[in-house]
Amino acid sequence: MMLYNSPLFHSLRFRLIASIVSIEIIMLSLLVWNNISIIHSTHTDRLRDTATSMIQQIANSSGNYMVAVDYATLKDYLSNIISYKELSYIVVVDRDDNTVIALGTVTPEDRAAIDLHPAQVHDGVYDIAQEIKVADQPMGRVLMGFSLSLMDDAINASRNRGITIALIEIILTITVTIFIGLGLTRRLAMLSKAAAEVEAGNYSVSVPTETDDEVGKTAMAFNNMVAEVSKRTRQLLLEEKRTQQLLSENRLLIQKSLEVQEEERKHLARELHDELGQCITAIQADAESIRDLSPKNDQRVITSAEAILTVSAHIYDVVHSMMHLLRPSVLDNLGLVEALKDEIHAWNKRNPKTKCIHDFTGDLSDLGERTNITIYRIVQECLTNIVKYASATQVNIELNNDAENLHLTIDDDGIGMDKNASAHGMGLGLIGMRERIQALNGTFFYETSSGEGFRVFIHIPLAYSE
Amino acid sequence: MHLFHIRHVFLTGLRKFPPVIYCWLLLCYPFSLVAKEAPTCSDASPVVFGILPFVSAEQLVIQFSPIAHYLSKNLQVPVRIETAPNFVEFARRTNENQRYDILFTAPHFYPQAHSQAGYRLIAGVDSPGMWAVIVAPRDSQIHELDDLLGKKLATVHPAGLATLLVRKHLTDAGIDPDVDLTMVSTPSHDASLLSSYHGVTDASALMQPPYAAASARVKENMRIIAKTESTPHIPISVSPRISESCAAEIAELLLQMATSTEGKAALSHNSFSGFKQASPEAYEKISDLLSQ
Repeated sequence: MMLYNSPLFHSLRFRLIASIVSIEIIMLSLLVWNNISIIHSTHTDRLRDTATSMIQQIANSSGNYMVAVDYATLKDYLSNIISYKELSYIVVVDRDDNTVIALGTVTPEDRAAIDLHPAQVHDGVYDIAQEIKVADQPMGRVLMGFSLSLMDDAINASRNRGITIALIEIILTITVTIFIGLGLTRRLAMLSKAAAEVEAGNYSVSVPTETDDEVGKTAMAFNNMVAEVSKRTRQLLLEEKRTQQLLSENRLLIQKSLEVQEEERKHLARELHDELGQCITAIQADAESIRDLSPKNDQRVITSAEAILTVSAHIYDVVHSMMHLLRPSVLDNLGLVEALKDEIHAWNKRNPKTKCIHDFTGDLSDLGERTNITIYRIVQECLTNIVKYASATQVNIELNNDAENLHLTIDDDGIGMDKNASAHGMGLGLIGMRERIQALNGTFFYETSSGEGFRVFIHIPLAYSE
Repeated sequence: MHLFHIRHVFLTGLRKFPPVIYCWLLLCYPFSLVAKEAPTCSDASPVVFGILPFVSAEQLVIQFSPIAHYLSKNLQVPVRIETAPNFVEFARRTNENQRYDILFTAPHFYPQAHSQAGYRLIAGVDSPGMWAVIVAPRDSQIHELDDLLGKKLATVHPAGLATLLVRKHLTDAGIDPDVDLTMVSTPSHDASLLSSYHGVTDASALMQPPYAAASARVKENMRIIAKTESTPHIPISVSPRISESCAAEIAELLLQMATSTEGKAALSHNSFSGFKQASPEAYEKISDLLSQ
């Protein structure tokens, strides 16, 4: 199991070489086993044939001696034969089964059971017998025993030699196979290594294409592919760089436009306050003077003066409201927290079915104008969106900071947005929020799903605060 | 034969024993006819049939196995053929050990077997006699005995009858076999004949029966240049171990062989036609050959 999980096991080179080596080992083992069987069979058959030939020759040659009862000459003849190295004994018995000659490692009384084949011998001696006949007349029998020790030694020697040769062959085969396998798969390994380099982003690699075989063609295709990928990647990088630059410029432009917008709003609010407010105040003062100084309390004059006062008061409210929208003066006068509270309070009043709860903690007094107006505008935008789309009953706004970041979380219990819809695109409001935050090097993200409300998370580094 | 014997016992008993015994014997008689009588030669079982090695052992077995089987079947005892490595050993085993129960030996060996070992003559081969021949290749220059001077003459064993007869024949012709020519001893008659046939020697001496039995191809290329005097044919004798009755039965079987189909078939492997009664005196005449 460990081997299977090992990266080596998944290597094509390893599996290829291991497969070939395994097959070769199996085939050589079978060959050795077959050779040993053949050697054993050959030796036993050779001994059987030799023994059969010898005993037939002796039986044929002994006939005349048996008829002539010339055991002395027969014994001399057999004494030359008993020196044969594999021969253990020779016994000649007459027609009455009396031992007349016993040579070798045998006593005249010994009569071993006859063996059918050397392979079936259990006592180490292959015992055979042959009847001595002269003109088809039985004259006795020859019994011979052949020691298997020499044959066994020869078989063992042959077997050991065969096994040694096979082992050498296996070792040589493994070595040669490994070398050839490594040589054959070297280019595959180079291809694999180059692919890994490309995967890591190094497109400068190139695989040698020295041969015209499949691997060579694959290497050539790989090199072409890498060159093409490298070219496309360079183009992509250039495009990305250009896009990033455009994006940065756009962001800068947006930031600038936002800043200009805020500045214009601020300026416009101030102008409204300073110019139009003074005028309306003057109009109201004049209208009151006209009403109060009207001779004989002329009712028409009074009515007209009252109408002027009413209209000017309305104009003042409108202007004040516009001023607040353009630039809440409380933000500049009392700070972010109070501006937010004021905004939330006003929002609660305008939307009595939805309860907005806030939780502002930490020191939020010195965040800088850009941060203040950004936070304020985002809260303003979120509350506007909630009114428009969320159908929420409760809104929670949390603002706090730690040593490094300012954290703003706005969540509602409204209908939320479908995940897919939210993934496909953001509304302009959300895009505006993101751009505002990114202008401060902050992060903006949200999470929502259908029926699960909407949550906005904003983190702005305090180091950026002015 | 056994019926005659039983009848004799029965008639003798009638005169010696009381009537009760007669009645008992009368009752037992049918059973005695049914009961199997022991073979006459059972004491000698197995009977060893010793044959002089005048041809090769294999040839001896081929020629004499049918006779041995014939005797064995009728005697109801095993009859085994035996020979010896050579004439001298055969004679020694005969004379010193009485090894052979039935002896088929050369005519000139019988007197010694009789005198030293007690062998008794029971029959002889039914043939006018035996003689030796001297033959030479037909394309040679040897036409008569004088042409043998200085030549090499193949013979059998020095103690063989052929050798003795030829030596006597040469001596009678004034040729000294030990001086005027070279006698080359060979193991058998066939070997002697083939010796000159193949040119190893100039001429061959052998007994006439083996020569007659030789292949026609060999004989066509040979010429008989001399015949020795004739001797009585092979004697058949038995050792003292063989009882008289057994000897008589063997003799009877041998003498009757030529009269039965079975006997003729057994004889067909030999050159002789049968056996006849033989006289010991006839063989005494050739004892002087042995002395030479």
